[in-house]
Amino acid sequence: MHLMNNNVIEIKSVSKAFDARRVLSEIDLCAGQGISLFVCGVNGAGKSTLLRIIAGLLQPDSGSMSICGYDLNRDPEKAKAQLGVILHGSMVYADLTVSENLSFFARLYGLGKSCARVRRLLDDVGLSSYTHDKAGVLSRGLLQRLAIARALLHKPSVLLADEPFTGLDCEASEHLADILRDFADRGGAMVMTTHDARMGLRCCDRVVILDNRRLIFDAETGSIDAEKFANDYLGYARSVK
Amino acid sequence: MRFFWSTLSAIFVKDIVTELRSRQVLPTMIVLGMLIVWVLRMASEAILTSKAVMGPVALWISFLFSGLLVQERSFAAEQQHDCIYGLLLAPIDQGTIYLSKLLANTAMLCIFEIIIVPVVLVAFRLGPDTRWPALAGVLLLGNIGISSVGTLFSAVVRVSRARSSLLSVLVLVVLMPMMIPATFALLTVFGAVPETLQGTGALSFIGSFNAAVGYMIAFDAVFVVACWLLFGFAIKE
Repeated sequence: MHLMNNNVIEIKSVSKAFDARRVLSEIDLCAGQGISLFVCGVNGAGKSTLLRIIAGLLQPDSGSMSICGYDLNRDPEKAKAQLGVILHGSMVYADLTVSENLSFFARLYGLGKSCARVRRLLDDVGLSSYTHDKAGVLSRGLLQRLAIARALLHKPSVLLADEPFTGLDCEASEHLADILRDFADRGGAMVMTTHDARMGLRCCDRVVILDNRRLIFDAETGSIDAEKFANDYLGYARSVK
Repeated sequence: MRFFWSTLSAIFVKDIVTELRSRQVLPTMIVLGMLIVWVLRMASEAILTSKAVMGPVALWISFLFSGLLVQERSFAAEQQHDCIYGLLLAPIDQGTIYLSKLLANTAMLCIFEIIIVPVVLVAFRLGPDTRWPALAGVLLLGNIGISSVGTLFSAVVRVSRARSSLLSVLVLVVLMPMMIPATFALLTVFGAVPETLQGTGALSFIGSFNAAVGYMIAFDAVFVVACWLLFGFAIKE
């Protein structure tokens, strides 16, 4: 890592508009090692856009971002090597088997075929009995587990998870929450969005609310009333202000 | 450098394996190619045109249109399950993605050529006096030219709903300057025109077989480098 301060994720004055519609305005956000951040907001608040900007998939109109001290514009390859990303799509190939998918991505991250790492990850996410099945025949929940394995394959320092619980049953959601918690406990930084506020509070140390293009609330999850927050987070944020 | 070759071969092998397993493009390419050859074979009998002229024409038309099929699929397949993001998030130079896709498209067209060239030779009774190395060289140069342009534009139009028609319009227009020397070179290989040609037509402008091959090499070199450099802009959302 190449850190000037303790912030693994550093976002400064990031703004983004799609045509005339401004989605994010002057967003500042930092997270250090082992900190997990729960970003919540209503549909269209800009959560996914923010995550895509941090991942380098979208270019902001202004502002700067760095991952582990590497500027996403100046050192994109070094910054991307530190990132694991889970998006709505699973980012896996339907015609390749589960293990072929992971081996392919292992080579893209310079890990060789990395058979031992692939086997270990498949065990961790509960996919070891599907190793030789094509990804195209997996259910939504199993695909999501494969997406998680793909994101954690290269042992990233930062994990970005956009609605990771979508399509998972209760048991799978609990299992995923344990994996994400474990990732943060081992010193990884995480930014997660989810509409399941209870799950978000359970997995993360800090919560921020994105509303009307800006971050309007930022607090430690341990310092807030989880029940009130989960029922109406916008109302809770306004009452605390 | 080792990492570059490793990622290049990983994406190349992945593209070939997924196509051979899904068989989404190759069978369609072969059927389309055979149909074009058959129609032109019938037409050549009706208008009593030299078969040495119609053979090269059939080859280039089938390569161009079948090439469009494989190129369109090249990035459309990456849109499924957002796989394109998986490639863009990897810590690799985006030019590597272009080069591996270019290689995969070229390999697919080579497989197609191996099947369609014998069909053309039989259908138009060409062959015994054909210069095989020259034939293979010209086809490979044409193949690289078609794939270099098609791969770039396939990335540009991948999110468009009208991507098939857009790709056809863009690729066929840009390929026009290469198709004149390419046609001349194949006509020479099959003995339909002499190795040097004088006059005022488009083919006469090329002049000789060597000049035609030179134009094709220059086209390929310019477009492979230009498309490789432009790919980073083409793939951005």
